[in-house]
Amino acid sequence: MAYSLFHTLNISCQDMLNRMMDLDTIANNLANVNTVGFRGSRMNFQELLSSQKLEGNTVNNTQVLNNQGVITRTDNPLDWAIQGEGFFAVKLPNGEIGYSRDGVFQLDSKKQLVNSSGYLLKWDGQIPKEATSVSVENGGEVIALLTDGTTKTIGKVQLAVFANPTALVNAGNNVWIPSEASGKAQMCVPGTNGCGIILAGAHEMANINLADEMTHLIQVQRSFQVTSRVFQQTDTMISEAIHIRKV
Amino acid sequence: MIKGLYSAVSAMIMNANRQQVLSHNVSNMEVPGFKQILSTAEDYLQTSVADPMDILEDRDSVREVGMLGLGVKNGQEMIDFSQGGIQITNNIYDLAIQGTGFFHIKTPEGDRYTRDGRFIRDASGMLVTTEGYQVLGKNSQTIKIPDGQVEIGSAGEILINGVAASQLDFVEFEKPEEMLEHDQGNLFKTNGTPTAAKNSSIIQGALETSNVNSAQVMTQMIEILRAYEAAQQMVQNQDELLGKTISSLGRIG
Repeated sequence: MAYSLFHTLNISCQDMLNRMMDLDTIANNLANVNTVGFRGSRMNFQELLSSQKLEGNTVNNTQVLNNQGVITRTDNPLDWAIQGEGFFAVKLPNGEIGYSRDGVFQLDSKKQLVNSSGYLLKWDGQIPKEATSVSVENGGEVIALLTDGTTKTIGKVQLAVFANPTALVNAGNNVWIPSEASGKAQMCVPGTNGCGIILAGAHEMANINLADEMTHLIQVQRSFQVTSRVFQQTDTMISEAIHIRKV
Repeated sequence: MIKGLYSAVSAMIMNANRQQVLSHNVSNMEVPGFKQILSTAEDYLQTSVADPMDILEDRDSVREVGMLGLGVKNGQEMIDFSQGGIQITNNIYDLAIQGTGFFHIKTPEGDRYTRDGRFIRDASGMLVTTEGYQVLGKNSQTIKIPDGQVEIGSAGEILINGVAASQLDFVEFEKPEEMLEHDQGNLFKTNGTPTAAKNSSIIQGALETSNVNSAQVMTQMIEILRAYEAAQQMVQNQDELLGKTISSLGRIG
């Protein structure tokens, strides 16, 4: 078996760098623990072995966690939470379509629905001038509250689902864009097979469990410590080999 | 005397190798389903030793006085197949195995087996590993997951909206230590025939952690360092002795 203490140093060094990347992911998850509709990520590490030579580990991919966040009530008709699969399609400033679970909408000066990052929601319909507020039904029917106190259905919003939502790419501002591995977005009617429902007057909190993240943080910190001790010891061993000859 | 020098060096090499295996285990401490590699040491060659006086005085018959070991070498690496911990992730395609079972994976190099249950439903609906290798079902068929509520049972049955859709090839090996060989990326290849899992169960929404134990690793590491130091000291002693022999013997006056 091929052996070199310098290679052993390299295994530990690579591992420390990987732990730091893992730490960055945890930090980003924790920073967004109160971001409405945020999806946490996880880094998948895998053993690295090339032609029976031990090489430590490597990052395979970063996976978006797709479990449901907690729904909290807000009673604001423009707060829309998704329960189940699906994303809102929003128009990004560069013209592309992004996907987000951030359902904190507002009416801008042109009476258009924009989310908290200011991106336009893609939906079928138009908000009439006399509308005071807008809400949504579970099945995606958009309802306007008019000045005279009546309500009117003014359009429909659909949700985007993906074959593999765990492979979406974070585009910043709580928006995700599809990748080759995630598959293309498919629009679906809320409440139909495989498509979540929309709850008005509610927020979906980030799908991050604080206790889990903190445990993971401790784990990463401890394994970093162990690896750095292994690194130090390998260094000691190299030094001993160098000083084998007494002067 | 030179024999002793090489014996001492062989112990240094052996322990440097153990350190490498340990470092590899540590760096995979957080990899789900990873099974730690156990390094072993074995006796190197033996040689018979003759009575030095017989040789020096050039006698006709040389008397054997016994056998001398020529140091140590690394033995075959073994895999510790003991159970790792179970960590709940609530991710529907994360599967942990409790027991001795394995998942069946198809790679470009052939069939492999793994305990790493981080699976993903890819863009075409196939169940794959994080590397993109296909997870195999019964009769080595690939698994396609249709849309719907996915539930994976303890024997590997996949239910979509409560209806059985497919079945994971969930197997056990009679003697994993002998039948499985460590291959790249947390996978194992076999020269034997697996049997359907009977004493194992799958837990959905959880992962099996590696079976590397940090407390054990730390004690092993101290052991390696001290053995390495002792061997290094032996090399120094042999060197000194050799130096003395060269400089003092044969000196006149």
